[in-house]
Amino acid sequence: MEEKLKELAVRREKITAGGGPKRVAAQHEKGKLTARERIQAFLDAGSFVEVDAFVEHRAVDLGMDKTEAPGEGVVIGYGTVNGRTVWVFAQDFTVVGGSLGEMHAAKICKAMDMAMKAGCPCIGINDSGGARIQEGVDALSGYGDIFYRNTLASGVIPQISVIMGPCAGGAVYSPALTDFTVMVDKTSNMFITGPQVIKAVTREDVSAEDLGGALVHSEVSGCAHLMFNNEQETLEGIRTLLSYLPQNNIEDAPAYPCSDPTNRSIPTLAGIIPDTPNKPYDIRDVIHQVFDSGSFFEVQALYAQNIVIGFARLGGRSVGIIANQPRIMAGVLDINASDKASRFIRFCDAFNIPLITLTDTAGYLPGVGQEHSGVIRHGAKLLYAYSEATVPKLTLIVRKAYGGAYIAMCSKHLGADQVFAWPSAEIAVMGPDGAANIIFKKDIDEASDPVAKRQEKINEYKQKFANPYKAATRGYVDDVIDPADTRMRLFGALSMLLGKRESRPAKKHANMPV
Amino acid sequence: MLKKYRVTVNGQSYDVGVEEIGAGSAPVAPVAAAAPVAAPKAAAPVAASAPMAPSAASAGSIKAPMPGTILGVKVSNGQAVKRGDVLLVLEAMKMENEICAPADGTVSQIRVQTGTTVNTGDPMIDLA
Repeated sequence: MEEKLKELAVRREKITAGGGPKRVAAQHEKGKLTARERIQAFLDAGSFVEVDAFVEHRAVDLGMDKTEAPGEGVVIGYGTVNGRTVWVFAQDFTVVGGSLGEMHAAKICKAMDMAMKAGCPCIGINDSGGARIQEGVDALSGYGDIFYRNTLASGVIPQISVIMGPCAGGAVYSPALTDFTVMVDKTSNMFITGPQVIKAVTREDVSAEDLGGALVHSEVSGCAHLMFNNEQETLEGIRTLLSYLPQNNIEDAPAYPCSDPTNRSIPTLAGIIPDTPNKPYDIRDVIHQVFDSGSFFEVQALYAQNIVIGFARLGGRSVGIIANQPRIMAGVLDINASDKASRFIRFCDAFNIPLITLTDTAGYLPGVGQEHSGVIRHGAKLLYAYSEATVPKLTLIVRKAYGGAYIAMCSKHLGADQVFAWPSAEIAVMGPDGAANIIFKKDIDEASDPVAKRQEKINEYKQKFANPYKAATRGYVDDVIDPADTRMRLFGALSMLLGKRESRPAKKHANMPV
Repeated sequence: MLKKYRVTVNGQSYDVGVEEIGAGSAPVAPVAAAAPVAAPKAAAPVAASAPMAPSAASAGSIKAPMPGTILGVKVSNGQAVKRGDVLLVLEAMKMENEICAPADGTVSQIRVQTGTTVNTGDPMIDLA
């Protein structure tokens, strides 16, 4: 037995060494950790249990029969994050470049299958040169198997993709199918076709960083949800993200003890809104004050900044926040904002996280570019996502809520359970200036002083319609509240709705305007 | 087989060849129609590279995010700015929108002044 135990130790040691000291040193030089170091840093200390360490590839063509790949270039297993179970897989760039072959993919699939069975999140750390070309169609089959499982697991367990190196070609579609893609600044890339292919085909000269670096995907393409400065911060960030999420779609997100009193009055809130309605302010100042102190965790902060999304806690419970950002592009709804918000709303709904919407938007963005790029079908996503959601839905109309954008921002009409409005709210079909021009066109044209008449009519319209009371008379706004009471009122409504059950017609699945 | 017609469109006349296609006969290249077909193809690479422009990661031309009027320019030529500094105020959608520097840089050209109306995509300030 002693002999056999020795053999086990020798075999395991070889696998744990990955690609060997030279390649590990090269990985470190790039500011990157190895697959095992990443898992150790990510999970609770000592909690990692490795699975499938002894798996080997069975390719024989093109020299593969002589190629040793300890661990098959990917480490999988389970462990805990703040005491809660997760499954992880981490591609090992030091072993044949982390390339994906048949058995490499089989290990990833096992991690995903087990996460589904156990009902816990699956976190994938990507660092791979791409498909293992020597394995031909078996490698492609591996990618396909992963995409298929990503899709089946979508909405059942939270799936998080972490990009910590190259992720190119077909490989990028697994992150795209998961719930969150997290990138590390300067050391991660994602693209379908790399700079060389692009140069050959379109003659565009672009670096890997400018094409698919963390900043580009966070700011321009919207493909990355979170971005951090280094690997340590990234792994910390994912632990924080997980703290807001339930383990699976039939559980609720964990509730934490809350030291921030839920009946806290916030007299400073009213002062954030400028006296004149055409002045911008930062909606995040409102968010930070209303929700549990320090709990706001923004997602996609750099993309479509005219809408703010993220998780926070209210009385210790997770909520998803969707808020127009008047500071950026007047808080308009456009294609990118609709796309960003609707995917977030659907994530929250799938995982039983209540939605809280803060409305202050000038409306949908006019323009030929928007129309021709399909703002109709993209804007419809927002209406769809809100209407479809059955989690508790609370809406606070802070200031402007005009026209289609009023409806789209989780109005009563799309099923909001409680709609509150501050006295500063303006709820109408359109803004006072435009409305006065249309309704009172004749009066203005015929007046001896059209400019004065116009102003008079604008004021008249403002008085009558640019307020929350018209909507409140119909019950579309449940209550007009003092901003100072916002926290306690939202908490009260959320508590009242904890037992909410709402069903939808039985169907195979709906047809979202994707 | 090939019949020739003269077609006038908007005062411009075109010579067009028309052939009845039986089994196995090769199609005849249209005489005038070829030009409009080729045009959109030539335009394609330009459109494809356009989305690269707004890459806010690098300095360059600050473009109007939406149509509006310049209410004020907050920087002067040659001034060094940091990412997030307010460059100008653009009134659009009845809101005074602050347009901020997307990256650190130096103002190399100011293309607008108070009162200028801009459309989406119009360059307003160049950063170097």
